[in-house]
Formats: sequence, structure tokens, C-alpha cells
Amino acid sequence: MIALNQVTKKFGARVAVNELTLQVPRGEVFGLLGHNGAGKSTAIGMMLGQVWPTSGEVKVCGQDVQTRRAAALQKVGAIFEAPAFYDYLSGWSNLEILSHYSAPTSSERIREVVQWVGLNGREHSKVRTYSHGMRARLALAQALLPQPEMLILDEPGNGLDPEGIAEMRQTISRLHDELGLTILLSSHQLSEVEQLCSRIAVLNQGRKVFEGRMADVKAEQGRVLLKTPDFPAATARLHQLGLITAASDGKHIVLGESRTTAEVTKALVAADIAVEGIWQQDQTLEDFYLSLVKSAPSKSNPA
Amino acid sequence: MFLAQLNNELWKLFGKKRTYIGFGAFVLVQTVMLLMFKYTRWQAQFERMLSGNGYLASDYISALTVALVMLIPQVLLLLPLYVTLVGGDLVAKEAEDGTLRMILSRPISRFRLLLVKWLAGMLFCAVLVLMLDLVALGFARLLFPWKGMFAFFPMHQTFGVFPAGEGLTLYAFSALFVVANAVAQLSVSFMFSCFNIKPAAATILALSYLFMNMVMENIPFFRGYQNWFVTHHFDCWQRVFQTPAPWPQMLQSEVILLAISATAFLIGASVFQVRDIKS
Repeated sequence: MIALNQVTKKFGARVAVNELTLQVPRGEVFGLLGHNGAGKSTAIGMMLGQVWPTSGEVKVCGQDVQTRRAAALQKVGAIFEAPAFYDYLSGWSNLEILSHYSAPTSSERIREVVQWVGLNGREHSKVRTYSHGMRARLALAQALLPQPEMLILDEPGNGLDPEGIAEMRQTISRLHDELGLTILLSSHQLSEVEQLCSRIAVLNQGRKVFEGRMADVKAEQGRVLLKTPDFPAATARLHQLGLITAASDGKHIVLGESRTTAEVTKALVAADIAVEGIWQQDQTLEDFYLSLVKSAPSKSNPA
Repeated sequence: MFLAQLNNELWKLFGKKRTYIGFGAFVLVQTVMLLMFKYTRWQAQFERMLSGNGYLASDYISALTVALVMLIPQVLLLLPLYVTLVGGDLVAKEAEDGTLRMILSRPISRFRLLLVKWLAGMLFCAVLVLMLDLVALGFARLLFPWKGMFAFFPMHQTFGVFPAGEGLTLYAFSALFVVANAVAQLSVSFMFSCFNIKPAAATILALSYLFMNMVMENIPFFRGYQNWFVTHHFDCWQRVFQTPAPWPQMLQSEVILLAISATAFLIGASVFQVRDIKS
């Protein structure tokens, strides 16, 4: 649904996004990860036709955003960090105003969306009286009004309390499961992305350093904690047998392809090396992300 | 959809309190001026001027005359101030508040968005001028009788007396020219508002531009180039009261004001089109 092809954006001499190529397939919950200033918001700005790329091509729903912006955004909703509204007007008026920039929207549709996001009863109150959570719901309501096929969420959890974050997570799941929306979620809240996204891309200093399925990230794990009195001898033996591909920090090993902890234990016992403990360690998205970001400067060819 | 979007802009514009600063200020200033005219030597000066020219002062010190007297400083000073304040807000305030980013995530073209905003600004100008004229006349009628109109504009050596009916027609007609002034002033601040600057900066730049025009227009060296200064064309509304009215000159001024408004809009739209909208 979104395709960025070799997109670069420069602000003066600063390169905010560097030759970014990205595909967000229909039906996915796609996470766009990166630290502050990594280029996530600029990339989203380009997808929405708010920021003009210096070079490259941005397509949304099959349409070029630069030349056919209206057609490209017809079925797209967006929510930004700290959503802004006309505080002196009611939530309902805000929804009416914003809906008129897309397509004629009936009162019935507005009522339906207000109900869906759980704002009913407060929709006619002035927005200045809304809590942060209610504003987030109003932001979601305005994004849902044009019956989008895709939602772009730029740091939607920022500023929310833990309860609000949990609610947001549930809402995103509902949007995907109940309404079948394709979702692009930009965030640096790794736990949210890990729980919600089926596919991720990681940006670092404007460059993409990873793109793949969340399952791939987890499959890359294979990290095992090994407790043994003689770690160097144990890893030397395991290397010799081709059971591991790497060892680090005196306690971790990385299993070879299709190798199991049972095979490792058996091999060490056979070599008369005591095994005090061995267990598979789940690599979190955080571990994966940090390893990517730390190693990124040395990578000359981004994924 | 265009009308719905225009309605949106009007709703936003008239929904916020700061839009009414101008209305409030006009009411306040008019009240002060009215009381000053009534209770200071100001009225006596007018009476002397009329009787010195052979007219019976009591026939022309009227609601229409006083309303016109009150309009002169307000059209010259207050109107540009409030109109540029609103014009400077139209785009820059939305950019500053973040609502512009919300709007531009929708499939509306930037040009169309600016067009509806500009049209809403024009309607605001019309409403403001209408209110200014009506309140001036209404307030003046509270303290002065409904009689003939005396129009005096020393800059154009305009001195005219009119029966009440004709005076009212001219008074209403002059409002159209004041609206044209307001639209040109708003368009200049709207143009600056389309740049990546704060709303206050847009207003200040527009006022500076107008002030600079006014100063240069009055420098003797530039007397031969007066048509090049926008403020020179702002006094058409006073020329309505000349007998006979210089229609070709007024038409030329109105065409120039229209062209300035359209040019300011197009420059603003061009700048806005290539701008990056970021939070």
C-alpha cells in the first residue's frame, strides 16, 4: 500500500532521509522504528505529501503522492504525536470540519465513529475540556471518518500514561482485526511495536538498516546461555563440532543452523566438560534494535 | 464540497475570540470619538466651517456627518491593524498550532485550501466593514439627528453637502471601497502568513509594508510615482463624496487593488506549495 523507492530528503546540507526504499504490504501492521531524528516523521511527511522528497518516488495506494496526492490519500487516515484540534470548538465540530477536507460525511457516519472510539457523551463538549486520552480518541475518530483502508500513526503513544498506552495498543489491534486496516506505526516504544507489528523497518540516521518480518527477528535469536566452569574449552569443542557459530561475553553461544541445546549438552558431557546450566534466551526487539543501531555506522550497505 | 470547506473556514474564523478583537476595538473607539465630538470643541469647529461656507450648521451636524467623521481615522489606522492581524493568522496560526498538518493529511490540495481561506478572509473583511459602518451610524444616531450629510476630506479638498437620502447612499457606497482596501491589506498579510513564519511576524511584515508605502507616498520626491504605492489607492472611499466623483481614477485604483490582492495571493500560494509542512 505504501512504496518508497530510493527516496532522499535533504534540509539544506542535512540529509534527513537517505535513499530509503520501503514497502508496506496491504494487511500488515508495519512498525517504523528509529531514534529521535532518525527520519521517521520526515518519511511519514513524504508519504502524506506534506514534505517534498529531494529525489525518489513515493507511492501510496498505487498513486504517486507528488503528482496525484488527492487520489493517493483518499483512503488514508493519519494520527500524529500530540494531535492538534480547534480547542474552542466541540469535538463534533472538529470532526465535521476535518471530514469536509476528504469527502462528504454524514452525521450518521460521525456518530458511528464517535461510538467506535468511545467518545459518545462528550462529543459536543469543547475540545479544550478533553483529557489527553480523549484527544487521542478524537484523533483516531478523525482518521477513521473517511473509511480508510490504511492508517498512518506517527508516535501515537507519546505523552500517554501506561493505561493510555495499553488502551492505544488494544485499539490498534482492534483496528487491524475488526476493520482490517493496514497500519503503519512509527514509534520508538519498542515493546509496543514488538507486540503489535507483523513487519518492521529500522531507520538510523536517515538510512534503513533493517526491514523484515517480526518473525524473522525472533528467528534470528538462537542465543543460548551456557553455564560451565570452563567456557573457553567448551566453546572450542562446540566450534570444532560445528554446533555453534559464535560465542561471547563468557556465557553466550549462538547455535548453528538446526542445532539444539540437547545436542550441545550431549557433546559437552561427552567431552567431560561440566554443564551447570543451559537455556535458550529470547532476544527481545530491544536487543535486536540496539545491536542494529550500534553496528549501523560501520554498515556501508543498508538492508 | 467547496462551499462546505468555505463554511469550515468561516466557522473556524468566527469561532475564535481573537477574531472579535477588531469588532470590540471599533465599538470602543467609536464610543470615545462620539463623546468627544459631542462634548468637546470638535463639533464647534465643524459648525464654523459650515457657516463659513454659507451653510446652516444645524442642518448638517447629523448622524451621517458624525458617522463619516468617525470612520476616517478608523479606516486609516484601525482597519489595517485588525485586518492584517486576522490575515496573518489564517495560515501561520494553523501551522503553529499543528492543525495545518492534520488538514494536510487529507486529500485536499494546498491551493484549494488556501483559496477557501482567502475567500473566508474576504468575507471577514466585508463583515468587519459592514459592522464598522453600521455601528458608527447607529451610535451617531443615538446623539445626533437624522439630517443632511457634510463630507470634508482636506487631503483631496473634498467639501460636500448632501441631503440625508443621498448622503446615506454615498455612505453605503463608500463601504464597498473600504472593503476593497481591507481585502488588499488582508491579502498582503495572508501572503506573509503562507511563509514559514510566526503569525505575529506575518502581521508585522504586512503592516510594515503598508506603513512604508504610506511614508514613501508622502515624500515629495515620489509624488510623481504615487500610483506605485498601494496606500495611494486606499482613499477611493473618500473620493466617492467628491462632486463630480473622479470615476476613471477610482476605477483605476480599484483595478490596481484587485491586482495587488490577486498577486499577493498567488505569491503566497506559490510559496506554500513548495513548503515542507513539519511539526
